[in-house]
Amino acid sequence: MTQAALRDTSVDVFEKNQEWWWAAEKKRSTRLDYLRKAIWKKGAIGGLYAPGVKVDLERAKLHTQKAKEMEASPDPFVMKFAKILAHVLDNKTIFITDQAQLVGYTGSLPHTMAWDPSCASILNEEAYNDPTAIPDPVDENQQVIREICNYWIGKSDLDKMMPVFDMEDLMKMLSGSIGWGVPLARGGYSNKDYEYIMTGKRAFGDIIEELDRKIDEVDAEVHKPGATAETARMYDKLNNWDAMKITLEAGIRIAKRYARLARIIAENFEEDPQRKEELLKIASACEQVPAKPPRTLQESFQYDIFIQMMSRNEAIEGAWPSRPDYYHGPYYDKDVNIDKTLTKEEALDLVGEFLIRAAEVCQFKPKWTREGLQGIDGTWVWTMGGVKKDGSDACNDLTIAFMQAARLVRVANPTFSFRWHPKVSDEVMREIFECIRQGLGYPSMRHDPVLIANSMHWHGHPIEEARTWVHQACLSPCPTTKRGYQPMRMANATANCAKIIEYVFSSGFDHVVNMQVGAETPDVATLTNFEEFFGAWIEQMKTIFSILVRAVNRARMLAPTLTPRPFLSGISERSIESGLDTCEPSLAQGNAWITAFTWVENIDSLAAVKKLVFDEKKYTLAELKEALAKNWEGCEEMRLDFVINAPKWGNDDDYVDDIMLRCLDEAAKFSKVLKCPSGNNWPILPENVSGNIHYANIVGALPNGRRLGDALYDGGVSPGPGLDKNGPTAVLKSCGKIDHITGGRAFLLNQRLSPTQLADEKGYQLWRAYMRTWADLGIDHIQFNMVDDKTLRSAQKDPEKYQEVIVRVAGYSAHFVDISRKTQDNIIQRTVQGLG
Amino acid sequence: MTTCQECKSFFPLDEDQAKGDCVQRVKDPRQAYYMAKPVNAEDDCSSCASFHKKEFVQ
Repeated sequence: MTQAALRDTSVDVFEKNQEWWWAAEKKRSTRLDYLRKAIWKKGAIGGLYAPGVKVDLERAKLHTQKAKEMEASPDPFVMKFAKILAHVLDNKTIFITDQAQLVGYTGSLPHTMAWDPSCASILNEEAYNDPTAIPDPVDENQQVIREICNYWIGKSDLDKMMPVFDMEDLMKMLSGSIGWGVPLARGGYSNKDYEYIMTGKRAFGDIIEELDRKIDEVDAEVHKPGATAETARMYDKLNNWDAMKITLEAGIRIAKRYARLARIIAENFEEDPQRKEELLKIASACEQVPAKPPRTLQESFQYDIFIQMMSRNEAIEGAWPSRPDYYHGPYYDKDVNIDKTLTKEEALDLVGEFLIRAAEVCQFKPKWTREGLQGIDGTWVWTMGGVKKDGSDACNDLTIAFMQAARLVRVANPTFSFRWHPKVSDEVMREIFECIRQGLGYPSMRHDPVLIANSMHWHGHPIEEARTWVHQACLSPCPTTKRGYQPMRMANATANCAKIIEYVFSSGFDHVVNMQVGAETPDVATLTNFEEFFGAWIEQMKTIFSILVRAVNRARMLAPTLTPRPFLSGISERSIESGLDTCEPSLAQGNAWITAFTWVENIDSLAAVKKLVFDEKKYTLAELKEALAKNWEGCEEMRLDFVINAPKWGNDDDYVDDIMLRCLDEAAKFSKVLKCPSGNNWPILPENVSGNIHYANIVGALPNGRRLGDALYDGGVSPGPGLDKNGPTAVLKSCGKIDHITGGRAFLLNQRLSPTQLADEKGYQLWRAYMRTWADLGIDHIQFNMVDDKTLRSAQKDPEKYQEVIVRVAGYSAHFVDISRKTQDNIIQRTVQGLG
Repeated sequence: MTTCQECKSFFPLDEDQAKGDCVQRVKDPRQAYYMAKPVNAEDDCSSCASFHKKEFVQ
């Protein structure tokens, strides 16, 4: 839309036409509009970064320079690492954007992507081999990258870890066929001990004082007459505490650098008195936090940003577990309702900017991650609503402000996930509905009572702890407490489950990567009944899950020594108390899960085999094996039989739904055999991000009629696109047959609804009735796309005009124009469900 | 040799005048901002394209 057309069309007209993205542009404040348009999009499109976005060489150079300098230092590794992190924070370039009230970014400049060269050589080589992301002058900087890459060969975390892994498992995992990611404690999804750090009781300065006390006490203890095994361990604790202190002090220093820059701008450059005042307020905020607890909403947001920025300088974090309405809510209440130092409009500007600051965050990632998370840098799924520790409603005015701000700034990352429970007010539900109706694709809805019970069932969290839960990544609940929080969920326990059924037909040999990956189950043609066939499926399932879990367990055991997290430990009560790295398994309750990508293909495939091979005997397994080996070529009639005449999940058909329950039951039983290093279970969690597209060329032909190259199904328990033919209630009924407490950790369900049908009060009431059914059936998750085909097709034709159209991809949302054509088509193909 | 301390963009630290920040105004295709990079007063900036001689006022 041209600027003139945007100016001349009223908000009412845009809203009437359901063109929410243009209405938002007109409704948001001048400041928010500027900051929103100032964002450099960091999410990759089809695996490639957007033009102009560049790898940040400054951070890589600073890190490498300090590492070289410290090679001969007698410091233990954790101390060296802490000093390197401090060096980066002390010397990186910082900036303050015009009109901004919040500061802090992972990279050195707004268009850069932070690159940590110490994580993995395979990541470094991607930086070297991606000329589109190398800053100008390309040739010269490529040489710089080469030198950095060469230095870290053999020294990066993954290089250090590889020799101590089971090499066979590692090769299978790194083949890319069954897993996604690498087992590193400095690369994955990192929750925080928010109950310790975000409740206003303490900040970095208080923790440093506590560390000093601990260090003095233990130092005195080790020098008393006598020596025990505990005395010997105390030296390691002293090193850990010292390292934590170094990083926290560096955190305070970088905040003061921002304060200084804000003052320099105010005193030397800025002429607008109002902006001068804002800059001095930024300076005051950065002098307060993170050294001392926040006093205002602005300082509370700023504190959060600093914590996230520092943690993301310590590790590559692909998620953003958070509960912002809960932890920042008291400051909103104080500023807006009690002290009245902020108007609601001013607060909304801050909330909107907080979303924008998060949307900018980026760290350079490998291509498999970019392809699996199209259009975003990571899954910033922020948790809203829910209950307090005592079980009362936790929603507050800030919950509502977040929903309103989200509709104004329309960022795709962070997204929200709302913890629904029966006490949520109608006012809050209406705000949520508005976000969904206006096509944000979020909040996704989570069944709080079910998920609290689920956390207690699978991981034994006490109820008060379970009630603090946030999304560790897209879906998995994880508490924010001393023992309950998980410092790092490694993404490689992500199973490409379509391989389970594929391997039944190949006896575990993977024809795509050309190696034996799965179990050597008998030739499928020799199996004589469905039970034998299902037995082979179980064997393959167990084999794949075990390979992935063994690697994560090993990495987690090694993490405290090989890949310590001194900063994250420094904001974790359990590490302050114990002197141990926060990844130390004995300190944690254990909250592991296996993400089950491409799960439902198994169900539809098993149902097809049961019906067409064993029940109706239309085909033999030998014939089916041959057809799959040929990728169904020359067997189109047979393929269509498997597509059309086999029952499909999501239609309230017990024939196939019972198979889903059997598969989940087998997985759940095995989940209790698999144990994490803290001794807890490994339940499965069926979902996809955009793995259904990433794996399209990796998964071979399947008995549900899918061919190699076809997009896989989009959700954890979502029916295949266009295969749910019996309406929305049938989808819910199928999903409702699953026990969402004991059947697995969580189950992703995508639904598309018609924006026309849900346009007014009647639409809201229809949605509420639908949500009541959802809640009554005890389904743990649901999320909606509510953008019509016409708009999406128009966005495909003219992407520039539809920059802020958002769709729900899987456990996250993305701007429609930022995802690949294949993913776009896959979303359009999803069935639009009519309610009522 | 031209050094950073002679430049308009150099802002020394109160506690240590030998160190400071190079503060510059930048306009990129999407936004305008001020950036600060730590430098030493005595750093050689002979080849710095952003160098602007500081005017000393008595």
